[in-house]
Amino acid sequence: MRAVTFPLGMDRYAIATASVREVVADLRPTPLPTAPSVFLGVFNLRGEIVPIFDTAALLGFRQATGSSVAVVVSTAVGPAALVVGGHAQIATLDEPVGPSELAGTIGTYALRDGVTVLIDVEALLRPHTNLAGARLPEGAVR
Amino acid sequence: MSLKGLAHLRSLFAQEAEQRLARLGQLVLELELTPLDGSAELIAEIFREVHTLKGSAAVVGFETVGEFAHAIEDKLGQLRAGSTTATASIIDALLIVLDRLGTVIWESVAEETVDTAINDQLLDQFNAAFAAPAEGSDEVAPPADTATADSEAHTEDVPSPVADQHPGQTAVAPVVAAVTDGPAPARSDRPNPSSLSGGGGTVMVPIERLDDLVRLVGEAAAAHLRVGRVLTERIGVEAIGLAEFGELSRVLNDLQERTMRTRMVPVSTITDQLQRAVRDASRSLGKDVTWEVRGDSTELDRAVLTQLSDSLLHLVRNAVDHGIESAESRAAAGKPPRATIRLHAMQLGSEVTIAVSDDGGGIDLERVRQQALRTGIDVDGLSDDETMQLIFRSGFSTSSFVSDISGRGVGLDAVRSSVEAARGRVEVRSTVGVGSEFRVVVPVTLAVLRCLLVDAAGRRFALPLHQVVIVQSEDQSILSHAEGRQVLMMDSLPVPVADLAQLLGMESTRTGPATYVVLNANTGRCAFAVDALVGQRDVVVKGFGALMPRLEVVAGASVEPDGSILVVLDPSGLVNRSRRDTSRNTEQHSTAPETMRRRGRLLVVDDALTVRELQRTILQRAGFDVRVAVDGMEALERLAEETFDLVLTDVEMPRMNGFELTEHIRALPSSAHVAVLILTSLASDADRRRGMEAGADGYIVKSSFDEQSLLAAVDRLIGLSV
Repeated sequence: MRAVTFPLGMDRYAIATASVREVVADLRPTPLPTAPSVFLGVFNLRGEIVPIFDTAALLGFRQATGSSVAVVVSTAVGPAALVVGGHAQIATLDEPVGPSELAGTIGTYALRDGVTVLIDVEALLRPHTNLAGARLPEGAVR
Repeated sequence: MSLKGLAHLRSLFAQEAEQRLARLGQLVLELELTPLDGSAELIAEIFREVHTLKGSAAVVGFETVGEFAHAIEDKLGQLRAGSTTATASIIDALLIVLDRLGTVIWESVAEETVDTAINDQLLDQFNAAFAAPAEGSDEVAPPADTATADSEAHTEDVPSPVADQHPGQTAVAPVVAAVTDGPAPARSDRPNPSSLSGGGGTVMVPIERLDDLVRLVGEAAAAHLRVGRVLTERIGVEAIGLAEFGELSRVLNDLQERTMRTRMVPVSTITDQLQRAVRDASRSLGKDVTWEVRGDSTELDRAVLTQLSDSLLHLVRNAVDHGIESAESRAAAGKPPRATIRLHAMQLGSEVTIAVSDDGGGIDLERVRQQALRTGIDVDGLSDDETMQLIFRSGFSTSSFVSDISGRGVGLDAVRSSVEAARGRVEVRSTVGVGSEFRVVVPVTLAVLRCLLVDAAGRRFALPLHQVVIVQSEDQSILSHAEGRQVLMMDSLPVPVADLAQLLGMESTRTGPATYVVLNANTGRCAFAVDALVGQRDVVVKGFGALMPRLEVVAGASVEPDGSILVVLDPSGLVNRSRRDTSRNTEQHSTAPETMRRRGRLLVVDDALTVRELQRTILQRAGFDVRVAVDGMEALERLAEETFDLVLTDVEMPRMNGFELTEHIRALPSSAHVAVLILTSLASDADRRRGMEAGADGYIVKSSFDEQSLLAAVDRLIGLSV
């Protein structure tokens, strides 16, 4: 499987390329007042207003991601930008080498110089957006 | 014929019927206004329309429709032949059977069972109207008994255009449908009514496609601006100076405007329906009313008109019912017996005004005042204009008392809310004895929102202008205090003040004097302190997708020409949030000498405002951070939201008393450590014991209560930290 991998804290994470629309290197969020901390605001992606989420916060880490690199993923209900820890790369993932424990992840995969944890974008976003529960149709993330 | 072929034919018939029924509705209303000697042509056309409907119904196998239409046609034949004249009661009955014909058609199309007993009953009444002696030319004479009953029932039955989505309930339904058929997917058995104008070259287009167009054109315009920026920044060419670039700008502007216009419909789309309402109401009340329309070619966004049609219906019915006096009163006042209700539409800038006026009795302000007093509203010091506004209050206008006087009947509050939902406003003017005018002012389109731009916390925000009441600078404002928060006196009523930055959870960066923007919401008004006003502008608001968390204070956002994003705040959400924050708002302007600063957060719980205020003032002056609650229940809510060092509570309170509150506080792990001080007028030892058993740390009897002893008790419990 082809995936976009990126650092987050000490570790590397991956999102299947099928879900990824593009990577933005110079993200400048417009924060929305009173928003929860996982939600960093919105930005203008060629005329489209796209919500931005802090990937570390979505995964339940205390430390915020704090970078200006974001992976823009597309879901059935529109795009979302996930801020990641740094430079993103494309890699090929083979069979999983083990499970993963964090909510919103699918499994652990071997990478040239270590391992990466594959993220399920739908499962990751669902608890933090107003799509909570069954309102996100099955297979909403493509 | 194959089944599929029949289904297709029936859907065509539905389209045709809708058109013919609409035409029939118009023709009959015209007939009513036409002198008998000029009516032959109209009658012939009515006859033809019914006849054609009958024939078409037979082709698609709708026998019930055919039979009913045939019976009507039969009687119309008498009119056409001149053997009977079209009296008012015949016209009444004709409208009713035509309405029924519409119902029968829609029920047949929907393959529902048609109740033929109703058909027969209505036909009997129709026939009876023909049998009744001619009333000569007195068109407004009270109709025959049966007809009166029917028209009354009918008045109530005129479908409200929003609630009643079923097509064809009445003969005017196609007109109704033409404005209520929202963006929901069109029903397969019904055509899009906007295409039925019958004019040459009209094309039926689903509203979604137009919405798509409007959106895409907007995006094209935004992309164009970005191209300009790229040219300037990366290539160093000043885009503004390029003739080609300028031309593209002009074309795109034009395109945007024309595309917007495709969603516009003229006000005349709903005037037939309003005319019918006026006609039915005046007939059933025995009032003689002329209906006049001006400016009905004024266009506005279909979505806006849809939202308004119900309100306008309310207003015209109210005008007939409550505005226009009885014939005797008019005669006594020396007014012409025939009253006039006028609808006047006009566009002024980016707003459309639709005024409904009558030459009736007007609104008696004195009676409004009396009614206000009766419902507990303080009218002292209210100007006439302000008093007039009271008729829009919820629960005010619905009173039968107001209906009795020359005031307005049901639903003015509903009218106001639905107009406000369309981002508009309602104004009223009235002169006793001369008449009243209600003006509904709405934006031409909902896609563009007129906004007030303000700066707060170093950022720019847009506030929808239709919810901005007034803007005041600090030095013009009369500020006061109540319950620990600032209030601004407006029309001698206190309006709570909140700092916009603080409310939005941001650091206030204001250094100079504040400017107050008073916003209006259904739940009330609130003044918000901002750093500066930037100006007014039309903003193309984009809603947020489903992924965005729902934030009550944010209405949407817009992409600015420079690519940045402007956040549009939701005034209703702001007002609601600020109300919830009332007790969290700390006193910022303590004037007491700062002899001793204490620290700690206290919760004062008392159902008596005066006691609560007194305690809050004393404790706040002493340096404590004080919140208030009106009873034990609310106190528990506060405790769940914030941590406190001490709770000072009364005993006798509604919902939950002080003893119960103390027990609850002790039972909850999160608050078990909080000190509780009971302050009460219950002075017996048993009460004192009861308090201690509940888990209170201290007990002060109100009779011995003074500032010193209160502070001493609090200090003893939570200590002093300077």
